[in-house]
Amino acid sequence: MMQGLLYGIRRFPVDLRNSDLFLLFLSIVLAVSAITGVTFLGDRLRLSIKQQAAVVLAADVTLRSTAPIGPKYLSIAKGQELNTAETISFLSMTLHGGNSILSSIKTTTPEYPLRGKLKLLDFNGQNIDKPTGSPMNGNVWAEQSLIDRFNIGKGDSITIGNKRFLVSAVLADFPDRNDGFLAFAPTVIANIEDLDAMGVIQPGSRVVYRQLYSGRENQIDNFVNELQDLPAEVRIQRIENIGQQLGRTLDRSNRFFSLASLVTIIIAAIAAMISARRFAIRHIFNCSLMKIFGATQGFVLSALIGQLLLMTLLATIVGVGVGLIIQYILVDLLKGIIDSDLPGPSLQPIWFALLTSSCLIIGTVAPYLQQLRVSQPIRVLRNDLKLDYKSSFFINAVAIIALVFFLSILFADFSLVSTIIIGLFLVGLSLFCLGALMVKCCSFFENQIGIGWKLGLKNISKRRGESILHLVVFGLSLMALMVLTETRSDLINSWKQNLSEETPNHFFFNIQSSELDGIADFLSPRIGQAIKFTPLIRGRLLEVNSGSNQGTNSGRMIEREANITWYAQLPDNNSIAAGEWWGNEGESIQAVSVDEGVAESLNIGVGDQLTFNAAGMDLEVTVTSLRRIKWESFQPNFIFVLSPMVARELPQSFITSVNIPEENEQVVDEFLSRYPTVTSINLNSALNQIKTILNKASLAVQYMFLLALLAGVLTLVATIFASADQRRYESALLHTIGAKRSKIFQSIATEFFAIGIGAGLTAGIGAVFISGFLSTQIFELNYSPNILVLTGGLIFGAICIGCVGILAVREAVYAPPLLTLRDP
Amino acid sequence: MTILSDINLTVYEGQAISIVGPSGSGKTSLLAILAGLDTPSTGQVWLSDQEITSLGEDARAQIRGEKVGFIFQSFHLLPRLSAVDNVMLPLEIKGDKQAREKALKALTRVGLNKRASHLPNQLSGGEKQRVAIARAFVTRPAILFADEPTGNLDKASSQSVGELLFSINQELDTTLILVTHNTALSERCEFVHQLDEGRIQ
Repeated sequence: MMQGLLYGIRRFPVDLRNSDLFLLFLSIVLAVSAITGVTFLGDRLRLSIKQQAAVVLAADVTLRSTAPIGPKYLSIAKGQELNTAETISFLSMTLHGGNSILSSIKTTTPEYPLRGKLKLLDFNGQNIDKPTGSPMNGNVWAEQSLIDRFNIGKGDSITIGNKRFLVSAVLADFPDRNDGFLAFAPTVIANIEDLDAMGVIQPGSRVVYRQLYSGRENQIDNFVNELQDLPAEVRIQRIENIGQQLGRTLDRSNRFFSLASLVTIIIAAIAAMISARRFAIRHIFNCSLMKIFGATQGFVLSALIGQLLLMTLLATIVGVGVGLIIQYILVDLLKGIIDSDLPGPSLQPIWFALLTSSCLIIGTVAPYLQQLRVSQPIRVLRNDLKLDYKSSFFINAVAIIALVFFLSILFADFSLVSTIIIGLFLVGLSLFCLGALMVKCCSFFENQIGIGWKLGLKNISKRRGESILHLVVFGLSLMALMVLTETRSDLINSWKQNLSEETPNHFFFNIQSSELDGIADFLSPRIGQAIKFTPLIRGRLLEVNSGSNQGTNSGRMIEREANITWYAQLPDNNSIAAGEWWGNEGESIQAVSVDEGVAESLNIGVGDQLTFNAAGMDLEVTVTSLRRIKWESFQPNFIFVLSPMVARELPQSFITSVNIPEENEQVVDEFLSRYPTVTSINLNSALNQIKTILNKASLAVQYMFLLALLAGVLTLVATIFASADQRRYESALLHTIGAKRSKIFQSIATEFFAIGIGAGLTAGIGAVFISGFLSTQIFELNYSPNILVLTGGLIFGAICIGCVGILAVREAVYAPPLLTLRDP
Repeated sequence: MTILSDINLTVYEGQAISIVGPSGSGKTSLLAILAGLDTPSTGQVWLSDQEITSLGEDARAQIRGEKVGFIFQSFHLLPRLSAVDNVMLPLEIKGDKQAREKALKALTRVGLNKRASHLPNQLSGGEKQRVAIARAFVTRPAILFADEPTGNLDKASSQSVGELLFSINQELDTTLILVTHNTALSERCEFVHQLDEGRIQ
């Protein structure tokens, strides 16, 4: 056994020079590279999510409440040697030189933040090294936007409530940035001990109290287990919860990469199956000969296993190396979308790599081992070195079952894998029909042209199965790339189509009712548009069906913060999905209309009673309709819309969205200096960012699909090599009967360029159908085929298959007839 | 279908015999059965005092490895292995640690020491058969089976390969069982057996 293993390993370098083993090796390297490239990236992102999640909270666990939480939990935590900190945040006006700006004030204890770092700059833009802490009493740190708008310099002060503060540093970055309504206003960090002196927190003020805790994982677990008697208003947040949310987003985006690697693995597996067959055919002779010279079945089997083990190991190592490079390329491509300063990957993807290479070898080569083990030495004498074709079906069935099984484990998603395989099969079948038609067409042209062309086209129809396989496999991978290229440009164009000249690009909110006329008078003449204001009521959804005994969902506490508005008329970008719009009855009924997505997640239906708290009052309203909202309209949209009767008299601010051309941007500056309490959001940068994300992410996915194309090329080479001996002898025969090399070259070039054009055409036709479906049905866009992409695909297919084909069989063209006719 | 019948053949140690006959007469089948590459439906084959037809495939392989050498009409060299690697093959299967030295020595004996690193497709037909002869003798087998060893060679090469085959055979005192159409070659054997329609005449 050991002797056989060692013999196999010793022979491996020589054997690897054989095209079959080398192509098998390359197929496995490619599959491993595809999976490790994606899993390394996913792994690094997952590790960074854990870090990011802690940064989002600025702690490992937080308690958050709208009422003071009290010292009880802090003392429990200190008793368990946890680190603690506190923040109290609220919105308040900051004043400077007669101007005022609505700001998000965050007061902190000196331990803040427990996770993540503060980034502070001085007024010269130089970094201040103070990763944690709070400002000294009487000092604040303010964000750049506030400093710019107040035009503050070194030594200047701002006033918050009753107290003046020296602005001692510029707050460039801090953790736990996003906190609901506080996120829109510029942030000012102050010392928590100055809170009382400000005198801004009054009964009914909207304040967020947070207690921050950090420590070792088991300490945190113990602490959280003791928090059984938390009041209803105190919410507990752990990094796992945040991580799960981020993880779900990551999983969704990672699915596209997984899809590309899945397609690559499937096509690489086809190449591996073809190469494995050639490997087996060659080894029938080798194994039979070895048996003549005394090798036992065990020796033969262990020699083969030795080679395959070594190849699995080498393919894994090389594949992991290439996968790492792919992953770095993807990180580079996604720069700006993801943090390029990701933590290093773990070793887990290496196990995936080993699993991939092992399963591919087992699935494609192992079924042949039994045939090779029992191959009769007498076959050498009889020159009977063919495979047992009766078992071909069994071998292919084993390979396919092993592949589906392995991919289901690898991607942990049987439905995705089976859908993709069935989808590929159906698309492959369509391409097969198209390919068969094209091969038929070739035989029609055979008699119309010169001998070189004729021989080439004859080769296509003579090797019908091989030619159709080329068309299908290469066409499939080319089609995937063409669809991506088409869809990518469609997606980006869809932004341009959706965003007309009049699409709002600025949101202004925190507008008070007293300012409405002034703002309309200021903006209208300057931008040439009528200004429409939408009321904005800050509230909280408390309960669904409180005190009601109807149905199964009675009395559920929700405690959800909500931005609410009221409309008399249904806006254009909303449509009714269930129930009825109140119309004129809105003045006389206590009703609410809910976004259908949120209604589904909260299990709210038409007829349910909702209880809101707004402006210190509890409001009971009935759900009379569910709305479908066109969020991409860039108009102010609201999840909850109250009827005018309920909300008209409630305290409310207003929001408006307007289109201000970029060349007219100074209007915004003028407007904000006149109305400093109004908060502005510039959507241009958000739109550009979304466009960048789409562009980069789709480009990265496209790069991944290049691997699938490479797998297609490998399959092409594997099939060409499978018939290489036959081609060599045919060419030698043609030489012998007087054919010039140029004619033989012409016939080979004709064959492969024709197949390339065929593959490009089939891919193009497939791409038009699939892109058309995606554009019209999924993205709801008008579809017109992109001629540049289709022509490019056709030319690329012809050149790629033509060149690869010629390179693969060039030996047959240039080898002297005597050498090619000589027995090996 | 019966390929061979009524075969009763005894070959003594050190003898050289040839089996001749028209194509399809069963020469190669007889050779395969004698060498333990195939088993007869009835009857027995004794090789060096051991009955081999009742043995399993592995046991017969082991006997071949220890006692048998082969030369084929189509040479059957492994195409990606150099001449010396091809000669080393049976030694490596036996786990011989001095395989390379012995193989180089065998190649020197057949006059191809300067072609040791050449691949089979870089050798002429005569040279390939010399490598095959070196491979067959390198394990010092007790019996050598040769199936049409000059069948693929021109006259000059046939003659020199024949000379080489018989001279090494004599040197090593090997039993030789030769299947051939070549009259000159068969006449050099001590006994010539004519096979016709599966029977020895």
